[in-house]
Amino acid sequence: MSDPIKRLRRPALWTAGAVLLLALPFYLDRFWLQAGLFAMAAAIGAIGLNLLTGSTGQLSMGHAFFLAVGAYGYCVLAGDSTGTLTGLNLPSWLAAVLAVALAGVAGGLFSPIAGRLQGAYLGIATLALIFIGQHVLFNAHDLTGGFNGRDVPPLSLFGVTFDESELLVAAVPFGSAEKLWYVALLALAGCALFARGVLRGRPGRAMNAIRDHRIAAGVLGVPVARYRAGVFVLSSMYAGLAGVLLALVFQRTVPEYFGMILSLEYLAMIVIGGLGSVAGAVVGAVFVSLLPQLLTRYSDALPLVSAPGTGGVAPGEASRYLYGAAVVAVVLFLPGGLVRPAFRRRKTTTSEESP
Amino acid sequence: MTTFAELLLNGISIGSVYALIALGFVVIFRATEVVNFAHASLLLAGGYVTAVLHDDIGFWLALLAGIGGAAAVGAGVEFLVMRRYRGSNHSVLAIVTIGVDILLTTELTRRIGTDVLALGDPWGDSVLTVAGVSVAHTRIAAFVAAGLLITAFLLAFRLTSWGVAMRAAAENSETAALMGVRLGRVSLGAWAVAGGLAAVAALFLTVFPTPGLERSTSLAAMKAFPAAILGGLDSTTGALVGGFLVGITESLATGYQGDLTFLGRGIGDLAPYLVMVAVLLVRPAGLFGTKELARV
Amino acid sequence: MTTRHQVTRTTAAALAALLALTAAGCSSKAKDSGKDGDKPSAGGIKTGQGVTDKTIKLGVLTDMTGVYASLGKSVTQAQQLYVKQVNADGGICGRKVELVVRDHGYDPQKAVSGYTELSPQVLGFAQFIGSPFVAAVKQRVDGQDKGLVIPQAWSASLLGSPYIRVIGNTYDVETINAVDFLMKEKGLKKGDKLGHVYFEGDYGENALAGAKYAAEEAGLTVVEQKIKPTDNDMTAQVAALKKAGVKGVVISAGPRQAASFVGVATAVKLQAPIIGNNSAFSPQLLATQAGPALMKNYYVASPTQPIGTDSPDAKKLVADYKAAYPSDALDNGVVAGWTAASVFGEALKKACTAKDLTREGVDKALLTIDAYDSGFGTTHDFTDPKAPSSRQTVVLQPDKKVTGGMKVVREAEVSKAAESFTVGG
Repeated sequence: MSDPIKRLRRPALWTAGAVLLLALPFYLDRFWLQAGLFAMAAAIGAIGLNLLTGSTGQLSMGHAFFLAVGAYGYCVLAGDSTGTLTGLNLPSWLAAVLAVALAGVAGGLFSPIAGRLQGAYLGIATLALIFIGQHVLFNAHDLTGGFNGRDVPPLSLFGVTFDESELLVAAVPFGSAEKLWYVALLALAGCALFARGVLRGRPGRAMNAIRDHRIAAGVLGVPVARYRAGVFVLSSMYAGLAGVLLALVFQRTVPEYFGMILSLEYLAMIVIGGLGSVAGAVVGAVFVSLLPQLLTRYSDALPLVSAPGTGGVAPGEASRYLYGAAVVAVVLFLPGGLVRPAFRRRKTTTSEESP
Repeated sequence: MTTFAELLLNGISIGSVYALIALGFVVIFRATEVVNFAHASLLLAGGYVTAVLHDDIGFWLALLAGIGGAAAVGAGVEFLVMRRYRGSNHSVLAIVTIGVDILLTTELTRRIGTDVLALGDPWGDSVLTVAGVSVAHTRIAAFVAAGLLITAFLLAFRLTSWGVAMRAAAENSETAALMGVRLGRVSLGAWAVAGGLAAVAALFLTVFPTPGLERSTSLAAMKAFPAAILGGLDSTTGALVGGFLVGITESLATGYQGDLTFLGRGIGDLAPYLVMVAVLLVRPAGLFGTKELARV
Repeated sequence: MTTRHQVTRTTAAALAALLALTAAGCSSKAKDSGKDGDKPSAGGIKTGQGVTDKTIKLGVLTDMTGVYASLGKSVTQAQQLYVKQVNADGGICGRKVELVVRDHGYDPQKAVSGYTELSPQVLGFAQFIGSPFVAAVKQRVDGQDKGLVIPQAWSASLLGSPYIRVIGNTYDVETINAVDFLMKEKGLKKGDKLGHVYFEGDYGENALAGAKYAAEEAGLTVVEQKIKPTDNDMTAQVAALKKAGVKGVVISAGPRQAASFVGVATAVKLQAPIIGNNSAFSPQLLATQAGPALMKNYYVASPTQPIGTDSPDAKKLVADYKAAYPSDALDNGVVAGWTAASVFGEALKKACTAKDLTREGVDKALLTIDAYDSGFGTTHDFTDPKAPSSRQTVVLQPDKKVTGGMKVVREAEVSKAAESFTVGG
């Protein structure tokens, strides 16, 4: 088991992957970068949801609400007061941090319910958040800008502004998508590592205990309600961060986006990728957010999918069929999600390694 | 006062339709402990079959076909999908039903396309006016039909062997299985019944005063979620009370939105959910739900 | 342990250095001077993005699978028909026009992605459904892209950009004209109450601004009823308006809500004429229970004449559309799509005469069009980006016997109030 080549393979793969990700903005055009950014933001949100649903067994259909809190929170905190819109004009990095905290607070306010309800019960209760969210987004005009949303002030960090102003890096012009790519990558890496830490430590074991046997967990001394509420808050903050990133990519927040479909997409992500694992959330997020983009872009070249308006299965519908079927099939044939086979293999190697 | 009476009557009649949907929802939950998010697509399936067939075979036969169709779809989902997962975590199963819902809804909305389909019901747009209070005939029909169905269902639940098996399964599925209750049949039956009830609900959701069946009709099933939860997911009485509560709240909140402007306009959709949250804060298991007793 | 980490680190550093060195050389994105510049091509015509010697590419961002599917389908097919006919006549400027269609299903993420994908490869957008999404890319259109975008929405919030141009009257203007119709022809008078049922969102709230202005000018009181696109049963709204004693109703919602409202109003004998905006009717409704009621007591305000107009242009469009899409309904989306495409075509032709087929050239060409008649009863003036291209409104009435289900009851007219109204202000 001390084959050095085998040992080096994993770190080498990780390094190659990281270098590839870092290099992409130099080669991909804006469409793909934007698709990648959507996927990364979704991955952050999905990691958070996976902590709640995958690891603790609590279903949330209200995740879109916390994304909205993050996105709009950032706009309000960082934006100017112009016309009828209210804005606090804080430095944008601070606004981003506070927006994430705000999402956490919103999650905390829901804790009397999040702590006491379990599983699918909570799932339906959180539907209320979607409806409340949509109502507020459409009606609180001076904060949200109403139906047409409001502009998202660009992020600025260490003297670099992440807007359309071109920045030449090695002769490649960097617009907002290229610059944001690195912010998103950093945020995703941080979120993934943190979630891994949580899952591998004491809290992770407590969460799994609550999921697998709530009463036994309680008897063993795990404060069930407090843990449930706590994980709910944490997962709201992840969603808040995802919301901030999405807002920065969109450059404008629109209320329609934060509806129930979005929540369902996040649930699909974690099931397809693999419940309870960080890598699963990332893989699922990439799958669900890139699939429609790929199908739409290459609809002319694909069999069975027809161009819009020609009467066959439109690309948008095809992607919905695919991920609907993926949710059902993954649970049926790959109970651990797409990452499980890889995960299982690694698990055996680690157990071999440890004496 | 007439306005209030009109709104109240409307709320009650639409509430009885919500109660039908919520009842199906509760039946599945009792039999299998799965929250069925695919309920909206069962409803759409029933309505679609009725709408497509009514021209050829007449309304009543088409309605029967619709009920049968939705029941078959429900049973099919149970047999082809849910059965394979028995024993899995219930949250995961709930998510599987979301996958099923995405599949079915996409297929049905693709078929319906951009049309508004009439269901060819016999009531038309006639209205009954008594003492200045007017109610559409369709609303009265909805109330009567829902009342009959619910009574029949509750009787079956008490008296038939299927009902007994179902209650036993809900009480404790392992013991029930040991006592010879075939859990597979119970759950198959539950899904079929839920589908049938949803098809009847689809009819009353798409007749006058609504123009017809179209792709967003399934969204009405979303109102049955708060109904089922605030009544208590495992209680049939709860589903009825919840349904009426949601219907009445919605109707009154819409009718009196002019006096509620401080909440923002268009509060009607939201009101049922606010009521639900309020109920859950006081009673986490819903109004009539069993507070879970744990035996370790 | 240490060695492993060291190896990893060295690999990483080496790879990173390699990357930095190669990035500049290999990336196709690297800037080489003059690549982006507009170039003169065949016939001395300046061209830019989306235009080659043989083709002119236009983008279409539509909704064929979402909530506006019926509008999107008609508009897109009409535009495809227009393009086919233009190409059969030899194209524009010796080039074939090509539509690149993307269906966003009314999903903001797909809409923004679609714009990002298409904007580098097309000259402009002949259709963009969903005003929130147009608003979402507005910064980019105004800031860098500067291509002409024709939204399929009539909200005043879209006005003001020199590149995003609304064709026909905006909802506020349309509503003012609709109220004017109720007052002049349907007996609504000073001091009366006017009911307004409107959608939450852009369309409804813009129409509400118009209704309020018209009410103020005419001495009416507006009784508001805000609804959501998912509300399909208007019983409670009718009850509330009946209680308030309204003498006329404007509906700024979808076809289903209009049908439900008119049906219920007729049934409970709410004695008030009802008029809707152009988006509040679809001919399919005439086949439902609400059909007879709609034909009796419902009017529709529209920026153009209906598809069933008795004019040579309309008849030709009907015949051609029927030949191309025999199974699809003829509705006003067809007129809207046709008008938008022909305005774009007109601008292209003008730009061709000026020998400048760049985005800038097309924008400029459109600004010179001041009296364009697409053949449907209204004339359009595009010289002022802050104003809608027309303030004229035609009033229609549903009629089962006419193609497209609507006939004209009042020809294109601008009311006094609509004239004095500052759009979007």
